[in-house]
Amino acid sequence: MTSQNQIRLMSHLVAGYPNLDVSLEVADALVRGGSTFLEIQLAFSDPSADGPAIQNACAHALSNGFSTQKGLAFIGEVHQRHPEIPLFLMTYASLAYTPGIENFIKEAKKVGVTGVIIPDLPFDQDEGLTAACKKYGMENIPVAAPSMTPERLNKMIDAKFTYIYAALRAGITGSETTIDSQTLQFLDAFSKGSSKILGGFGIRSGSQAKQLANHVYAVVAGSVFVHEITTHYNPQNENESKMKIASAVETKAKEITSL
Amino acid sequence: MSHNGFFGTFGGKYVAEVLRKPLDDLEIAFDKAMQDPSFLEELRTLQRDFIGRPTPLYFAENATKILGGAQIYIKMEGLAHTGAHKINNALGQALLAKKMGKTRIIAETGAGQHGLATAAACAKLGLPCEVFMGEVDVRRQQPNVAAMEMYGAKVISVKSGSKTLKDAINEAMRDWAAHFDNTHYLIGSALGPAPFPDMVRFFQSVIGKEVQEQSQERHLDIAALCACVGGGSNAIGFFAPFIDKDAPRLIGAEAGGIGPGQNENAVRMSGSAAKDGIVHGYKSRFLLDDDGQVAETRSISAGLDYPGIGPQLADLGKNGRIEFRAITDNQALEALQFFAKNEGILFAMESAHAGAVALQIAKEIPKDKAIIINMSGRGDKDIFITSPVFRPFEWEQFLQSELDRLKQGTDIHYAESLPTNLKKELENK
Repeated sequence: MTSQNQIRLMSHLVAGYPNLDVSLEVADALVRGGSTFLEIQLAFSDPSADGPAIQNACAHALSNGFSTQKGLAFIGEVHQRHPEIPLFLMTYASLAYTPGIENFIKEAKKVGVTGVIIPDLPFDQDEGLTAACKKYGMENIPVAAPSMTPERLNKMIDAKFTYIYAALRAGITGSETTIDSQTLQFLDAFSKGSSKILGGFGIRSGSQAKQLANHVYAVVAGSVFVHEITTHYNPQNENESKMKIASAVETKAKEITSL
Repeated sequence: MSHNGFFGTFGGKYVAEVLRKPLDDLEIAFDKAMQDPSFLEELRTLQRDFIGRPTPLYFAENATKILGGAQIYIKMEGLAHTGAHKINNALGQALLAKKMGKTRIIAETGAGQHGLATAAACAKLGLPCEVFMGEVDVRRQQPNVAAMEMYGAKVISVKSGSKTLKDAINEAMRDWAAHFDNTHYLIGSALGPAPFPDMVRFFQSVIGKEVQEQSQERHLDIAALCACVGGGSNAIGFFAPFIDKDAPRLIGAEAGGIGPGQNENAVRMSGSAAKDGIVHGYKSRFLLDDDGQVAETRSISAGLDYPGIGPQLADLGKNGRIEFRAITDNQALEALQFFAKNEGILFAMESAHAGAVALQIAKEIPKDKAIIINMSGRGDKDIFITSPVFRPFEWEQFLQSELDRLKQGTDIHYAESLPTNLKKELENK
């Protein structure tokens, strides 16, 4: 789906990759590129639902001394710069469960998070995540996959989440997604429900985004931006690479959002 | 058995939705196989002829005399094919996967023992096999890499994250998420999302069932069972028939590493460092930092060097049925030497942790009672770890001469007769 003559985009970044300073530039560039939502990932040591590009970005952030506290402060900064952009925090169960789910959600709310995406907390075994989100006025955004049985898919639809993140490929982020009739069928199965569908995994180009646009509320793209950062980052020349990264990310976001 | 995949508060299927269906399918297939007499019969035959079961329950008479307390028995799992209990699970799951119509097996491995067992089982059953192994482990466990390749498996060096076991698990999960239509992920320990903990326990429980029969035949009054616990598959299989009884004592030996400090060990149960957590698809006790990041662990034994523990063991530890003790690297090395010198039995470094517990408690227990140690693996594989400790000088010389020989392409018969410089001179003439 589209708004203001462009495709809605939920763009993804890893907080602290390649460092907090540059990732703040990335957030700005993604917004300039037309992102409707930002999905900000807090790095976890064992991100088994991510592809190698994002895993390496997370490992890099962690080796730079990333912590949950720094990640939340980063989100707070992004929120101050772009108060109009809903921010979705993506991470793994361990980072939410260890401090206590409710506590984690409370802290996320404080810095301006709109919703959370935690792929390894199943929507029907979520350790109180949805309830905590409700309590603090936030959204829990479950991740759906094409391999779900119709029963389970219906169960998710019936739970009436505001947003559902539809992971299009059977695998994990970062590999080529082919947008075939099966993919579109999967997406269209949600149309009987009320949830807004954020569809992605492996979206790399404007043409892929265009194919999807009419079947989702917003297109999701992530590892394509991580790839741009990795390609243009040169630790020897921080300022130059910051500019190159910002420009490459903005260009890619524009490509994906333009009709 | 678990209740809907949970053991008390631990266990579950904490996986991304994409893996839900393959796990549910696996659960159904496993339940069906458990009711299928022909599957169970085929498994029994393979256990007997391929693995070499039953493994002996050995009376360690010399050790018993020296320690002067309870009778020491050793369950000789190390005599199983490929040298450890790992084959019990690998074979069982590979057979199940074949029945499910899967045409490809993937596995993770740390030290390489599980990879080795999986490679052998797949060779036997005619299934292509790919083993994910951290780049660091590939480098330090070359003998097992070579053996896996000999069995026809493809070893994939994992270069992401910390390049060790946990990264190999992540990579295998990723592969499975993309290929579950034709691929079975053969997890090596009684952990991960349901139904793996139940399934792995079942395939390993052959150890405990044999111990039960063998000790009844000999009228043993068992006071305690001792097993080492990494993920815990040998322990849960060994303990399985006794879990619901009040006796004997069940004791799990964790890797005490080089000390009690942070990142110095892999103690999840006996210390206070671990937390309830959700990692790798299951809820259990994990070594995590305050944020929930998985902590580095340390142990001389690669098989115990893991930050989590199987959910059923965690539950049994929490409710007090299993006692846990931390055994340091040095205590394990002492136990290794003790049983080698006095019994002619070489424990794997992992299993030596269980042996060390027996050394600690033997005297406290009367002579008419028995302690059974599960020697989950034999120690041949550890020659690269134990040699630098026990005979560093000779080992260095050996490695140097092997390297020289390899570089020069010299036949083994001439390799050690001459020092390198002299050989070079001869060759030049």
